[in-house]
Amino acid sequence: MRKKLEGNGLWESSRMMLPEHKVAINEHEAVLRRRQRVELDEQEWEHVARSVTESLQQRQQIKLRLFHPIEELTVIGIVDRVDQLKGRFMVDGEWFPIGDIEGAVIEE
Amino acid sequence: MAVEQQSGTSSPGRIIMLADCQSFYASVEKAEHPEYRDLPLVVAGDPERRSGIILAACPIAKSFGVTTAERLGDSLAKCPDLVIIKPRMQLYIDVSMLITRIYQSFTDLVEPYSIDEQFLDVTGSLHLYGSPEELARMIQTRIQGELGIYTRFGIAENKILAKTACDNYAKKNASGIYILPKEGLPGTLWTLPVGKMFMVGSRMTRHFNAMGLETIGKLAETPLEKLKLMMRRKFGKNSDINAELYWRIANGIDDSPVRPGTHEVAPQSVGHMMTLPHDYGRLEDIKVVLLELTELVCQRCRGKGYMGHVVSVGCMGADYDRPSGFSRQMKMMDPSNVTNQVYRAAVELLLRHWDGRPVRKVGVSLSQLSTDDEYQLSLFDPHREKTMALERATDAIKRKYGDATIVRAVSITPAGQAQHRSKKIGGHYK
Repeated sequence: MRKKLEGNGLWESSRMMLPEHKVAINEHEAVLRRRQRVELDEQEWEHVARSVTESLQQRQQIKLRLFHPIEELTVIGIVDRVDQLKGRFMVDGEWFPIGDIEGAVIEE
Repeated sequence: MAVEQQSGTSSPGRIIMLADCQSFYASVEKAEHPEYRDLPLVVAGDPERRSGIILAACPIAKSFGVTTAERLGDSLAKCPDLVIIKPRMQLYIDVSMLITRIYQSFTDLVEPYSIDEQFLDVTGSLHLYGSPEELARMIQTRIQGELGIYTRFGIAENKILAKTACDNYAKKNASGIYILPKEGLPGTLWTLPVGKMFMVGSRMTRHFNAMGLETIGKLAETPLEKLKLMMRRKFGKNSDINAELYWRIANGIDDSPVRPGTHEVAPQSVGHMMTLPHDYGRLEDIKVVLLELTELVCQRCRGKGYMGHVVSVGCMGADYDRPSGFSRQMKMMDPSNVTNQVYRAAVELLLRHWDGRPVRKVGVSLSQLSTDDEYQLSLFDPHREKTMALERATDAIKRKYGDATIVRAVSITPAGQAQHRSKKIGGHYK
């Protein structure tokens, strides 16, 4: 009962929504939340390339932000291999596409 | 700075709109059928039956005295030339979503409140468009032009005042737009009879009148503590919250946000209920419907990734004057969303509580929900993995091709309702 007086309670307890309408709203909201790819400029790419190389050659831990349509995706670890031909890199035994990288930081 | 000057005259803070579509279902049908533009039109539950009810009436039909929720036969008596249209619920949902998208092109804070009413918080984007009234007019013109639907706007500093402004003023004035400033309440809202207030129905109106609170203003000016005492005398000591709710509504106090993600909250329970086309008196027949409902409930739970621990079953008799039937629940051994497991529990409840009298309405629901990424391995059901794989496959087929494409064999017996039900939304045809 108390909920009616808090937050959005008055409106959530009094509305009339068809379940099918709610589903449509939630699907639409999910589409709106889809993330767009971040386009990196030349300078940012250079920074990413330098960080990845540093991690690969000096066994430094790196934190990479990757594109994912829904989630916030971060890969943390040491770059083991870089496969320029297939456009991918390996961190802790797992391959990731180089094109998905949105940012990189070498962890101290 | 220019922005602040423009909105500076009204009260500071948020600017909320409640946008409402006039005779929504009827307007959608008129836009779809331009040939009926100047004729009285209604959307009615079941046009073949005179006892079907009016879901929506266009303004022309209303001018003949036709009202929403009355029986079709009564409307025809008032207006014999009425154009009667079967509801198409899926279309109305689609159009409502198109309207949501139009609102979202003006502000990202849009909260659908029902199929034809949505809240908009335009505080942050108003400076792009001018005054609140200009913005409302812009949206109104766009929806009229693109979809042929007339929208009305109540505008105020919070949701309750926006809703009130729309219901009591915007729906009645020529422009369809009304701004209700909080300072203006004594001269406007407070002069109205208490029955015009949001959340006050005919019964509550009688109660307030008996307390001497005939107008919204009288209710608003009663000190909250006094109102609580007055309501306690009538409704017992649990009425404090309602007293505060009515008091806040009367005074236009509401700090609820316009919350776009509001429909994503985890449900308390997932349930389905069905009114049967005729009385079911045989156990086998009731069991068929029970299985169909259980399947629907479990299907929805699986789709959302929930399992339920408590099963409830309700049956209601046909005679509304002498109510019969039951509504009981039981806890299963483990949470589940497997149809057969939940059905076993539902049948157990039915066998235990059904008194053998004819049944007209059946409902099944699952509550105490938990997520289904972890579940208890069962010693007693070695086929669980297999059943779950089967259900995943049938659910996928249904999602892609419709609920009626794959049903249980009992659903094609005369008692089965699944095929029929899959054609409907909210009890009306898609």
